[in-house]
Amino acid sequence: MAGVDAAAVKAMPRPAPWQALAWRLAPFFSIGLLLIAWEALARSGTFTPFVLPAFSSVVARIWSDAITGDLLINTGLTLYRAIVGFLISAIGGVAIGMAMSRSVGVRWFFDPIISVGFPMPKIAFLPVVILWLGLYDLSKISIIVFDAIFPVVTATIAGIKGVERELLWSARNMGARDREMLWQIVLPAALPMIMTGLQVALPLSMIVAVVAEMLMGGYGIGGAMMTASRFADSPGVFAGIVEIALVGLVLVKGMTMLRRRLLIWHQEANEPTTA
Amino acid sequence: MSDSAQIVIDRVSHLYRPPRGREVLALEDVSLRVTSREFVALLGPSGCGKSTLLYLIGGFFPTEIGSILIDGQPVGGPGPDRGIVFQHFALFPWKTVRGNILYGLERQGMERGEREKRVQDFIELVGLAGFEDSYPSQLSGGMKQRTAIARTLAIDPKILLMDEPFGALDAQTRHLMQSELLSIWQRTPKTVIFVTHDVQEAVYLADRVAVMSARPGRIKTIVDTKFDKNDPNIFKAKAFVDKVDEIWNLVRVEAIKAQETRPS
Repeated sequence: MAGVDAAAVKAMPRPAPWQALAWRLAPFFSIGLLLIAWEALARSGTFTPFVLPAFSSVVARIWSDAITGDLLINTGLTLYRAIVGFLISAIGGVAIGMAMSRSVGVRWFFDPIISVGFPMPKIAFLPVVILWLGLYDLSKISIIVFDAIFPVVTATIAGIKGVERELLWSARNMGARDREMLWQIVLPAALPMIMTGLQVALPLSMIVAVVAEMLMGGYGIGGAMMTASRFADSPGVFAGIVEIALVGLVLVKGMTMLRRRLLIWHQEANEPTTA
Repeated sequence: MSDSAQIVIDRVSHLYRPPRGREVLALEDVSLRVTSREFVALLGPSGCGKSTLLYLIGGFFPTEIGSILIDGQPVGGPGPDRGIVFQHFALFPWKTVRGNILYGLERQGMERGEREKRVQDFIELVGLAGFEDSYPSQLSGGMKQRTAIARTLAIDPKILLMDEPFGALDAQTRHLMQSELLSIWQRTPKTVIFVTHDVQEAVYLADRVAVMSARPGRIKTIVDTKFDKNDPNIFKAKAFVDKVDEIWNLVRVEAIKAQETRPS
């Protein structure tokens, strides 16, 4: 058996460098095709540049925004709001989830709120948030937290609930005290699940940041897109779309890297992934 | 013999209350005395409450009916005087082999240099040298259980509670681990309570085998099973084979009963 396997491995040609490179670039292939199709369609004259500006003109627009500094201000502000909102959701969500797992009273209070609130479109509360907190960062970040905290809370509860009884017993058996149990056993054991919740919360923070900016105006990618739309500035609108896509990609990739780093011990770290 | 008993289990019954449904009498009127450094196997069909009895001794469940005394003291909560090894290892997956074994020693407040040395000793004792920095997910089943055994032995418990420790391993690894456990036990003598449903394993490892009945679990008989453990041909010896056969007949009756009364 083993001999046959070894022979089979030997018979398989090693991938050439260009093949390895092609494999690495493969994920970008479909995106590239889409962009080429966009450019071709825009140049074919089927649509006016107002309806569909060419990709190249959108890139040119992003470049000129970068030179004037608008790009940095707008993406920077959107990122700042999304990340601050995400971090508050992460810390607050884990804390609420932990409290709900440990105390019947806290669970009794929060459980119905989570059940009703999770499926609700939290953005519907935006007019209320504007009334209470105004139009600036405080209200934008608040609505982000209001939205992104739910998946963190539910993931934390599910993670803590899923910790094996034997794991807790082992720790107790070796002399762990209550406080040590929480920090040294329960949280690390629940970490894979909590990370999954955070991976949902991060893009959600980005989405809500952009939508809130669109609805409330001001600086930020969402606000800039609405302004461009009002001035019939078609490349400006599409530039926003491209910027959101890039920022989202960077955020999600960063989160995946963080997960791999933190969960180096986890089974998934030994398996090949596509992410 | 009776005055030197280290573990005295006296008329213990245990009601298991599932989150939903009726409560089940898991153990009924169980009495057992175990002397220091004795190796006792609890043998019975699945669902007979043998693990429950182990968890009561470990202090993971409170003893509500009857009493369990260890060195004359009633069992409180879990503690490092009674080390436990589980079937599915229960290693901390985010800690390396070294980190897992260190954990208990840190909780005992052992001084740094001393505990590093002790960890290395126990890694060598169970033959895991070279795998100190591996995570459990990178180890085979046998290696995981070696780590779990080292982790428990390192805190130097007086009593070793083993809950079907080799039940999740393949036949060859299981056999290897059995003889290794015996040799470790002969070098560091401890009282061992070993839960299993494998008759041959029980007869081979234990000094006495307590055969348990189907639910509600009672101790049906206690059989002496002292053999020369170092005899390489023990599995072929007539006395050994007869003993396995005798106990197997006792267990079979209970296994059939357990199947008939199993709640659907």
